[in-house]
Order: sequence, then C-alpha cells, then structure tokens
Amino acid sequence: MAATHVLPPPPPLQRPRVLMVASALASAATLMLFGGLLGIYLTRRAELLQAGDTWLPEGVTIPLQQPNVMLFTLLASAVTMQWAVYAVSRDDRVNTYLALGITLVFGVAYINMQSYLYTLMKFDVTANQQAVLVYAITGAHLAMAVAAMIFTVVTAFRALGGRETSRQHDGVSAAALFWHAMVVVYAILWYAIYITK
Amino acid sequence: MAITETRPESVTETHINPWDTGEEYPAIAVVLGSGDHKTLGRFYIGFALLFGVVAWALQGLVTLDASGVDVLRADTVSQVFTLGRLSLVLLFAVPLFVGIGTLVVPLQVGAATIAFPRAAAAALWTWLLGSALMLIAYGANGGVAGGRAKAVELAYLAVGLTTVALLLATICIVTTVVTLRAPGMHLDRVPMFSWGMFVAGSIWLLTFPVFLANVLLIYVDYRFGRPTDFGVGANQWAQLTWLFEQPQLLALAIPVLGAIGDIVTTSAGARQRNRGVMLAAIGAFGALSFGAFAQPYFNEDVWKQVLFVVVGVVVIVPVVLLFSGWATTMMRGKPTITAGSVGALLSALLLMLAAVGSALYVIRPLRLQPGERVDLPLANVYQTGLLGLVVGAVVVGAIASLHFWCPKITGRMANDSFGKLLVLGGAGGAALVGVPLCVLGFANRWDALADAADALHLVSTVGAALLLAVLLLTGASLVAASRGPRAADDPWDGQTLEWATASPPPTGNFGELPPIESPEPLLDAKEAAS
Repeated sequence: MAATHVLPPPPPLQRPRVLMVASALASAATLMLFGGLLGIYLTRRAELLQAGDTWLPEGVTIPLQQPNVMLFTLLASAVTMQWAVYAVSRDDRVNTYLALGITLVFGVAYINMQSYLYTLMKFDVTANQQAVLVYAITGAHLAMAVAAMIFTVVTAFRALGGRETSRQHDGVSAAALFWHAMVVVYAILWYAIYITK
Repeated sequence: MAITETRPESVTETHINPWDTGEEYPAIAVVLGSGDHKTLGRFYIGFALLFGVVAWALQGLVTLDASGVDVLRADTVSQVFTLGRLSLVLLFAVPLFVGIGTLVVPLQVGAATIAFPRAAAAALWTWLLGSALMLIAYGANGGVAGGRAKAVELAYLAVGLTTVALLLATICIVTTVVTLRAPGMHLDRVPMFSWGMFVAGSIWLLTFPVFLANVLLIYVDYRFGRPTDFGVGANQWAQLTWLFEQPQLLALAIPVLGAIGDIVTTSAGARQRNRGVMLAAIGAFGALSFGAFAQPYFNEDVWKQVLFVVVGVVVIVPVVLLFSGWATTMMRGKPTITAGSVGALLSALLLMLAAVGSALYVIRPLRLQPGERVDLPLANVYQTGLLGLVVGAVVVGAIASLHFWCPKITGRMANDSFGKLLVLGGAGGAALVGVPLCVLGFANRWDALADAADALHLVSTVGAALLLAVLLLTGASLVAASRGPRAADDPWDGQTLEWATASPPPTGNFGELPPIESPEPLLDAKEAAS
C-alpha cells in the first residue's frame, strides 16, 4: 500500500504589511495637504467674518442638495469598500468583485455630482480669494478621489488575477484605507465649505 | 502515492546588477530601468551634489549683489534669491539625504531591497524631471514673481512635482524602516541613521504636503484667477518662506543627527550608552522642527505666540543631549580620526550653533524677527544666516556620511586625507556663509554695523563659494574613489548590518545575516568570536 503524505497546513503569513504601511503614510500626507488648505480657508474666513463681511460674496450661491448627496454617496462607498475587505478576507471572490465594483460606481457618481455642482455654483474662479480657495480645495479632493479609484481598480484587477486572498489581502486593505481617508476628508470639507459657508 | 510538490521557500536571485560587480558599466537602458536601491541612491547623490553647486552659486550671487557689487539686474535679484532657496532645500539638502537613505537604510535594517523599488525609481526620475523643469522655468523668466506667465506656471508645476517625488521617495524609505527590518531588529534597535531617516521622513511627510498646499493655491490663483491674492507676484514668496525658516529649516538636519550617531560609535569602537535617550532626542528634535504652523503670511503674529517661542528655545535640549551622548561615547572608546569622524564632530558643532541661533531668534526683546511682512531679498538677514548654518551642517554631515559609507556606495574607499580637507573646508564655508549674516541680522536691529554690511555680505559670498567648491570636489572624490582598489567589506570595524555584506553589496544585499539581539549585531558577533 502506497503511503500517503499530506503536506502540513501552511504557516501563518509573516510577510510584513508593506502596502498597508505605505498607504497609511500616503493617507497621512494627503490629510496634511488638506489640513494646510483648510487651515488657510478657515483663517481667511475668520478674518473676513471678524471684519463684519460675509464669507461668500453677494449673489454667490452654493446649493446644499448636491453636497449632501455626495456625502451620502461617499459614506455608502466606505461601507461597500469595507464589505470588499470583509469578503476578500473570507475568500469570497464574488462578493469581493461586487463590492469593489459598487465602490467604483459610487466613486464615479461622486465625480459626476461634483462636476454638476461646479456648473450650478455661481462662483467665478477669477472673482476673489473665496472662489480660488473653494475650487482649489474641492478640485484637490476630486484628484484624491480619482487616485483612490485608480488604486481600487488596480486592486480589483489583482483580485481578479487571484493575487488577493484571505491569506494575503494587503492590496484591498490598503486601497480601503486610502478610500476611507478620502471619505473622511470629504466629510470635513462638507462641513467646512458647504455647511458653514 | 508520493507527493512530489514542495512549497517554494524562496526565489533564488540570479540576476546580477553590472554596477554591483564593478566589472563594467551597464547599458544605459539597464541603468535607467533599474529599481536597485544602490543604483537609485547613487543617482540621487550625484545629481543632488550637482544641484548643490547651482544652489550655492545662486546664494553667493545674491550676497555678492547685496555687498554692493552689481552682478544682478534689479528685476532678477528676487528670482535668483528664490531659486537659490528652493534649490538648496528641494534640489540639494533633502534629496541628498534621500539618496543616502535610499542606499544605506535597506542595508542597515537587513533588507534585500527598499520597499517599492519601482516607486522609488519613479520618485527619482520624477524628481529629476521636476528639478530640470524648475531650472528651465526660471531660465525662461519664470519662477516666483517671474515675468513670463507660462514660465511662472511651469515653475510652480515643477516645484509641486519635485515635492511629490520627494514625498514618494520618503514613503519608500520610511516603509522600509517600519516593515522590512530583519528578524530581531525591533524599532528601538535600528541603527541611528535609519532612525534619523525615519524621524526625518515622518516630519517631511507631515510638513511638505502643507507646502504643497501653498503651491497649489498660488498656482490655481495665478493660472485660473485674476490673480486676486495668493497668486499676486508680491505675495507669492511670502507664502512659501516658512519652509526655509525657523523652526522648519531644522527638519533638514534630522538625518544628519542619525548619521553622526552611527559614525561616532563606529569610529570610537564603543557602544552608545543611553541609546534610548539618544533615539528620543532625535525624535524630539524632529517634533520640534515641525514648522507648518508658523506661516507668517497667514499668521502674522506667530513670532509672539507661546508655541513658536517655546519650540525655538527647547530645541537646544535634544541637541545638547545628543552632543553629550556622542562626547561620552568618544571618551569611552578609542576614536579614530577619519574624514567621517571629523566631519561628524564639525557638523554637530554647526548644528549646535544653529540651535543656539534658533533660540536667540525667538527671544522677542532681541528684535530679530521682522516687524512687517518679509520683503525680498535678504530682508530677514538673520534667517538667511541660520539657513546657511543649517544647510552648511547638512553639507558637512553629508560629506562625512559619503566618506563613511563610500565602500557601500562605490565599493571603494575614498581618499580619507582629502576627505578631512573637504569637511574642514565645508565647515569653514558653512561658518562663513552663515555667521556673518546672523551678526548682520543682529546688528541691523539697532542700525549698527551699517558700514560693515557690505564686507559681511562679501564674507558670506566667500563662504558660499567655498561650499560650492567643496561639493564639486566631493563629487570628484567619489568618482576618483570608484576607480580605486576594492574596499574591504568592513573597513571601519562597524557595528551595524551594512558592514556584514560585501562592498559594494550584491543584488539582494545579504547572504546570511548575523543574529540580531542588540542594536550592534556585528559587534556582538565579533565579541562572541573573540
């Protein structure tokens, strides 16, 4: 009778979480970028208000409906992103693809809504420092959202290629970390720019 | 039934980088496509030295012009001044230590490569492209408050590009320290230089994005606006100046502290006592150099704020702690006099001088701070002097580091006697470039020394010229060294892992690592063998 040899179960993965650490560092740097921008925004706003002026010049309107929709879209995308992390950590590939796909759709919806908002805002970038600040900050956040989507697409392709598994899902986790940072930044912008005005 | 499948343990690396063998120079495509951290580090070092020459030349031209010798047209003075500042930091001081870190940090932590080698390569080429574009844009009458609109826009894009590239390179280095350490090397056991790069990288990652935010606002206002505020020519530099002033300018020197620590312990042949305190002191120095909050353009009264004053004064404490720690190690050991150890000592002295200068700056009764918004150029002469001292200390520390790690950089030993001359020249240049301007800034507040202003500016010009020459000769010294005889693997009787591999290190860096049970694994191995 031939002896049957069974390989022992693989040891737990000891690979350092290189991508996670790098993503955390990149997220921290991006948060500081927005910290710098918002610091200037709030300083200038406080100066104007202290002088008795209003922050937004007369005649300028920024509707609130679109920013609210964007906020809820991005909050939902954070949930679907976490769903992707949960699914990949259980080797549930179908749910992983589904979750990453829906997250990307939410991302596209956010970009679409932000672009639409620009057309609604009666705010000329050449007009004053307020317009420059609003467009620079929201534009930078659009760029961050695009970067997060590219990161997610790359991760989705890695998952399709079988390189993201329950034993090794750094890519999805790192993309999720950066995505969550993007959502947190938007939540702050939503309050600082669209709510307080 | 026999199972024939085996689990692969590791992939054997068969590719040999031609630069590592020293046999022949590789084809240009091999070099340009390399993700090898040694090759990338060499590129950073070479180009940073080259840009350093440009930066000190520009600095010298500005002080020469200020001394009364009419060398610059009135409309170009401010452009030369701002390009000099930008290139000192973004093209020279930071990339030089990013280069040394890219090359040395993976070796020190026992890693086979840097984290994300392709990203590190992308960072290098992006930085180089950004640097070239910056120089081209300034050459085309662009840059801060330049005369040609398109060239001004290009200059800001270039500044943004170089900053992003340096951030990416920094992420690679910090990630290497955090995640790719050899087994047994806890974070408190990493060599001093790697720790210094870790702290410096963390501070750069938290402050350079804020600088990027300033650049973005200026660019958007200038490119798309009328401009209204941020992009107005007279306002542009005032928004960026905090990167070159107290306390942020001290962040340039953090890696130097780490390098000094490694050089001192190795040359003394003794372990560093109270190592935890030394690590904490480097960390504290880094934290105190966080200067993103001190932006006088947006925060006019920053000079009067308690945080600004406290940070400026307290920064002396970690420097004194580090200095006394190194002195104790030197006294306990048998220090050898090499270019590295002499350079480390001189660099430490310059940093001490800069820290004292920093403390004097924040003492309000001395009235060293500008009372109004900064005008160009050299409006705040004292700060220019401090910047000269700090970047001068970086020059001396870098030369010491390059001579110390030359076996790992080129595979050969650099000429040590010549290296001693270089560090002495560098220290002299740094003192000449910085001290006269500090003295002038000090005296200006009481309208004293007005007659001597021209002479002091001239002395500062001589210092800049000396530093320029020293950087050129350092590059030449490294090139000459690369043609000399092979260096031993461990020529300095080192304590840390970079000396456990060949000179230059092969692809993959290490064969077998010694067990790591302390911060000085090589010293442990040598003591166990004796």
